[in-house]
Amino acid sequence: MIKFEHASVTYPGGVHALKNLTLEIPDGQMIVIVGLSGAGKSTLIRAVNGLVPLTDGDCIVDGVSVRGASTRQMRELRSHIGMIFQTFNLVKRTSVLNNVLMGRLHETSTWRSLLGWYKPEDVEIAMRALERVDIIEKAYVRAANLSGGQQQRVGIARALAQEPNTLLADEPVASLDSPTSHVVMRDLQRINRELGITTIINLHFLDLAKVYGERIIGLRDGELVYDGTGEQADENVFRDIYGRSLTADDVMGAAQTEPATISA
Amino acid sequence: MTAATQASHRPVKPRRSRAIYASIAVFLVITLLSVSERWGIGLDIGGLIEDIGNGEVILRQLLNPNWAFLPRVVDPLIETFQIAIIAAFIGCAIALPISFLASRTTVPNRLTLTVSRGILSVVRAIPDFLYALIFVAAVGIGPLGGILALILFNIGVVAKLLSETVDGVDTGPIEAVDAGGSNRTQMVRWAVLPQVLPNYVAFSLYAFELNVRASAVLGFVGAGGIGFLLRVQYQFLKWENVSVIIICLFFIVVLIELVSIRLRRRLV
Repeated sequence: MIKFEHASVTYPGGVHALKNLTLEIPDGQMIVIVGLSGAGKSTLIRAVNGLVPLTDGDCIVDGVSVRGASTRQMRELRSHIGMIFQTFNLVKRTSVLNNVLMGRLHETSTWRSLLGWYKPEDVEIAMRALERVDIIEKAYVRAANLSGGQQQRVGIARALAQEPNTLLADEPVASLDSPTSHVVMRDLQRINRELGITTIINLHFLDLAKVYGERIIGLRDGELVYDGTGEQADENVFRDIYGRSLTADDVMGAAQTEPATISA
Repeated sequence: MTAATQASHRPVKPRRSRAIYASIAVFLVITLLSVSERWGIGLDIGGLIEDIGNGEVILRQLLNPNWAFLPRVVDPLIETFQIAIIAAFIGCAIALPISFLASRTTVPNRLTLTVSRGILSVVRAIPDFLYALIFVAAVGIGPLGGILALILFNIGVVAKLLSETVDGVDTGPIEAVDAGGSNRTQMVRWAVLPQVLPNYVAFSLYAFELNVRASAVLGFVGAGGIGFLLRVQYQFLKWENVSVIIICLFFIVVLIELVSIRLRRRLV
């Protein structure tokens, strides 16, 4: 359970990225956050794991206050929250397996991680995470040699290797083409359903948000302006969230590969 | 065409900063003052033309190396090689953690950063020759003084170069590893080190190469290696022997360069 309580973030430059946000996310939900760039989507997601500190109010994750957490508590909290990034954030010069094993660092002692002596059970968890996103055959390939879609799946595997109860995805498909985006979104959906992991995804493509969002949160200028289901979110709702009429750039377009899954 | 030029408002080309012209002017004035008769270092161009023939004897001897001297070069050369490799190994090993302490990517704390960078500046400000003088005075004549001097010299060079490389790494993986709840040591080991490893190897080989060259000078103050032999031959004006030493050093430096090019290509 994630609870925002009058949470605000003001950046040092004076920008109010998040304004008095109150929001409750029950366990196991797949929730999509939409809004224009600069609306506070990334800030909201990073407030959950403390990468961006709140300047007012609080965020409570599984009963722990993110704002009041000590360094040790923060690491403990983060170890249960996997994160996926727009630019994948892999170490390109090392192997796929090494990248996924970075998800096991919290469970590995400092001296073991310095030498790279991961426990066999941690390697097994990393391998299973790679199998789950169907990219196990690339385990010993350098991350730099993978395509964008493959790199993002490794990013998901790294997050899964943490055995998290929550997954944060910051624009996970913004660097990918349309068919690859649907593959990645379906992976996230499957993981959410099969493992019951609470999943929070930032998206700016409205059609993707409607298809994959069990629940949609609309942000405008750091304020919550919509909270409802994907079915309820029609064109008028999105127009309100964006504060302007919609254009062709706001939709990604259908997946030509497997249109059947859109009804999912 | 005229319509098009009227329609677009092209930006005016910005004028180049005056600071560039000013600094060139200052540089020129200082150079002129330095060669001037009144304030300068007393550079005598006339002497250069009058005495140019004196170098002819030395040059001729240098061009006729005495290869019979070669066997006497071998042992000191091996010693030089050993001094250089031991110092590079220890110096670079110490420089690795220090360079992470001296980069703002890996140390957000301003105080720690200022202290570690300050220490590095001091280490680098002292020339290797001075280190050699100090350590030879402290531990006596021999290779140990040379090794200690070169270790400090290597820490200064490698930590400086590597910390600047760390400043420029991709911060994405750092954010990812931080988000997973790992500690700072783990973050540096897995998100930063793989990114700078090829550079680190290149800098270490460069440090080794610098050591071989520096040993020619360090031997002058009794810090072991080929430099001592070089000094004796030079003092007795045996230029044909000096020539052999220089050629050997040249080949070793070129050899190291070739090996390091190959190693770097395999690593990057």
